Amino acid sequence: MATFWRPGMMPIQLLLTIGVTFLIFVIGHTFIKKTFGRGLPMLAQGALTWLAAFTIFKFVISPPIPSSLLYIYMGLITLVIGLFISANEVSWTESKKPIVDTLIGATPLHRGVRAVAFIALPLGFGWGTYTSIAPPKNFPEPPELRTVHPAPPQAIKVQDKQFTLQTSKNPFRVDVKGEYLDVGKEKEFFASNPFDPNAEGYVKYVKEGGEVFFRNCHFCHGDNLDGRGMFAFAFRPIPANLADPGTIAQLQETFVFWRISKGGMNAPREINPWDSAMPPWEEHLKIDDIWKVALFEYWHTEFFPRTWD
Amino acid sequence: MLTIIKHRKLWATCMLGLFLALSVMLPLVSTMALAEEAQPQAAAAAAVEKGKDVYYKTEGPVSGAGWTEMNENSYPSYSLPYPLSENRVIIWVLAQQHLYFGSFVLAVPIFCMVIELVGLLTRDKVMAKKYDHLAYSFVKISLTAYSVTAILGGLLLFSFITFYPAFFSYIAGLFRPVMHIYALLFLAESGTLYIYYYGWDKMNHGLLKWVHATMGVLLNVFGSVLMMLANSWAAFMMSPAGVDEKGRFLGNMWHLLHTALWNPINVHRIIGNMVFGGGVVGAYAAYKFLSAKTDEDRAYYDWMGYISMFLAVGSLIPLPFAGYWLMREVYGYRQQMGITLMGGLLAWLFIIQAVLIGALFFATDYYLFAGMDRMKGAERYAKSIKYVLFLTAAAFLVWLTPHTLIITPQELKAMGGQQHPVVGNFGVMSAKNGAVNTMLMTTIIAFIIYQRANKQITVKWATWGNAAIVAMFTVALVNNWWVAIYGYYIPANVRVGLSVPQVMGTLTCLFVGTGINIAMMRGAKDMGPVLWGKISVRSQYALFVLGVSFTWLMGLMGYIRSSVRLFWHVMEIGRDNSPWAFTHTIGFAANVMTFNVVLFWTLTLFVFWLGEIGTKVAKAAHAPAHQPAIAGGSK
Repeated sequence: MATFWRPGMMPIQLLLTIGVTFLIFVIGHTFIKKTFGRGLPMLAQGALTWLAAFTIFKFVISPPIPSSLLYIYMGLITLVIGLFISANEVSWTESKKPIVDTLIGATPLHRGVRAVAFIALPLGFGWGTYTSIAPPKNFPEPPELRTVHPAPPQAIKVQDKQFTLQTSKNPFRVDVKGEYLDVGKEKEFFASNPFDPNAEGYVKYVKEGGEVFFRNCHFCHGDNLDGRGMFAFAFRPIPANLADPGTIAQLQETFVFWRISKGGMNAPREINPWDSAMPPWEEHLKIDDIWKVALFEYWHTEFFPRTWD
Repeated sequence: MLTIIKHRKLWATCMLGLFLALSVMLPLVSTMALAEEAQPQAAAAAAVEKGKDVYYKTEGPVSGAGWTEMNENSYPSYSLPYPLSENRVIIWVLAQQHLYFGSFVLAVPIFCMVIELVGLLTRDKVMAKKYDHLAYSFVKISLTAYSVTAILGGLLLFSFITFYPAFFSYIAGLFRPVMHIYALLFLAESGTLYIYYYGWDKMNHGLLKWVHATMGVLLNVFGSVLMMLANSWAAFMMSPAGVDEKGRFLGNMWHLLHTALWNPINVHRIIGNMVFGGGVVGAYAAYKFLSAKTDEDRAYYDWMGYISMFLAVGSLIPLPFAGYWLMREVYGYRQQMGITLMGGLLAWLFIIQAVLIGALFFATDYYLFAGMDRMKGAERYAKSIKYVLFLTAAAFLVWLTPHTLIITPQELKAMGGQQHPVVGNFGVMSAKNGAVNTMLMTTIIAFIIYQRANKQITVKWATWGNAAIVAMFTVALVNNWWVAIYGYYIPANVRVGLSVPQVMGTLTCLFVGTGINIAMMRGAKDMGPVLWGKISVRSQYALFVLGVSFTWLMGLMGYIRSSVRLFWHVMEIGRDNSPWAFTHTIGFAANVMTFNVVLFWTLTLFVFWLGEIGTKVAKAAHAPAHQPAIAGGSK
């Protein structure tokens, strides 16, 4: 399944897969109705929908989604199917009929099913309870609720210099005249060649930031900034994927400056500092270098830092 | 007394004049109070120390005591078992209950005002009487709730004074004149409410009816200003202004009131109150429907439930946009607060919020679909249900996907990193905007289907009308999805700006789409009347879901808004040094919220029961002599 997914298109692919599956259902059911004179029973439609959704979420999505998310998704699907079959009196009556018939034992067949169900259901619940509380064989670590983006402090001190994170600006986000480049305007430089010996301003600083990055950061964060550097898989979790739209694209440039400066060990508790191996780079790099690295990361990923004006 | 009855028009006009004068005088009183404060300050200006406003960055004379650092002895508490040993939990419960009832009694008069005006403007006398009776039923429900609100407000005030004396002394010192105005407004609101309610029958004709309706407007003005003043205290704690870095007042009361978050909170709360009020009245109607003994009662309460649901959902539609503005201002004020809320410590509570909002949309759609069962001809639209539900479910799937995943180390390893490459993209704002607008549009589609369920459209331009509606929704949806995708490739400030065309698309569908639909139903052939009272029992539980979800949502978001201050009483000025200055676990917070929801609904049932005592229901008046047609809905 992994070959099906194309980087950059994955969320759209998932939604399209769900949409196409739904349409196949509708068309298929219409065909059955026309061919056989009647459609599938509502309960069967519901069960098939549930199975199709489960198949997509459990087996089609690659890499697999966490079980917590799978439960949420399947809970939603179950709810929607319930709403669908009970939305009007005709489908509700049709859907509950086999259940009511089984409960009251309307026919010998129903009585048989009821007997099996009344034995199987308690056993099933018992088994479920047992498996959920019994100590597992390999004692896996419990789930974690690790905050990927901890809330930054109002201000930080880096190498004895105070920075207010709400208002500080990257001093190297400047054009060739040295004037501050508002976020968004750097787009015109995305295609520029940073190795141009005549490069000035923003592009020149991007190049310098890139040099710092490839000397210090790429071993973990990777050549493509996707968190898959050569050392990355020695860590768990692997380093942040800066090329993902859910990371630096959601944050102010000062946030990135803060995280680089202070590293993992000085991060707030909500991020589980013990789960990060990133060194506090303020002890190894100059302040200017840290700002330039931040500049480079946004240039390379073609993301824009968050602003509020 | 006889003289009063004889000259009731004159008396009513005098009373109205009195209230108008009072409403004009309040700002004057406040101005005078502020002027009095300013005079000695001006006189001693030369000697007074100057301070710099923490928010407005203006200079002003230091005009009051600053924040005094507190210690654990500043929080006298009872020796009660945990969690009641924490003063904040007691305050939490009392404040939440006060807010629930306060919201309810602020929202219901808005509905009364609207319904009474609709009744006044309706030419059909039978319908006018029905609307008038409905408005009266609404205000009757809120009257007992008003007393409960006041009692809870008193309890909350005493608890603040006794549990947080130093903190309360500081806030009261700053907002002294505002608190007096608040008390005066409360008096004015109470007087207006009692005259509005008890004068309903006496002021039911001619000019007096208009005077009565005007009092309804006044009642809402008093209530809204009252709420805004109370909001200013909460907003000040989150985003202080008008004081220097030591928390000393700098003489400008407007700065103290007009903090960064005051107006977004005002707008969000007014709309939120209306949604909540509609939800509670809807639940009341469902309760009465389920316990009704006669077909007439069932028909009446079915109709009442429908109108309440319509008012609640109508108010719900702009609420996400007000919430979006509030969050934008929160981020703009402090990114630290914004990230704590939506990406950090409290992010999972936002997922619970997403689930509850989804429950609202699904409950609304379900209620409308179930409601179609009481209309002949609705079976033509039964097949459209699956498309509406599918689109809503797909949007909801995106809407509730969290940014921060609960994940085992094994799963983390299998995923290869914290961000899932497929569903991780759904965790950010661009996707959420697209999802919520889609859910809003599917709800509007469900409403349009409901409107035409028992109609045979006869206008000549029906094909063009249908084509226009389909084209409008198609364009709006495609635009919405395209902007949601494009949002990943542009700066955040541009993305925020692009949410405007998304919203405009949704609102166009709402107003123009339903407008065209209503126009198409002119002269339409009725395939049968709406059989009020013949709705399924299941639909009434959808109304309960609406009411309970609103209640839960209010408790949840109130907690989030308050706890985002973390260890600050007043953000970055007054530190919380109590022994319990830590953020509760999500589980604990959820339990307290749920307790609050259960307590509120228990008290509400009591209020409903009280409202029934001594009231003989005039069944004849309740009978739906004429089928109602609210909001362009089906007859």
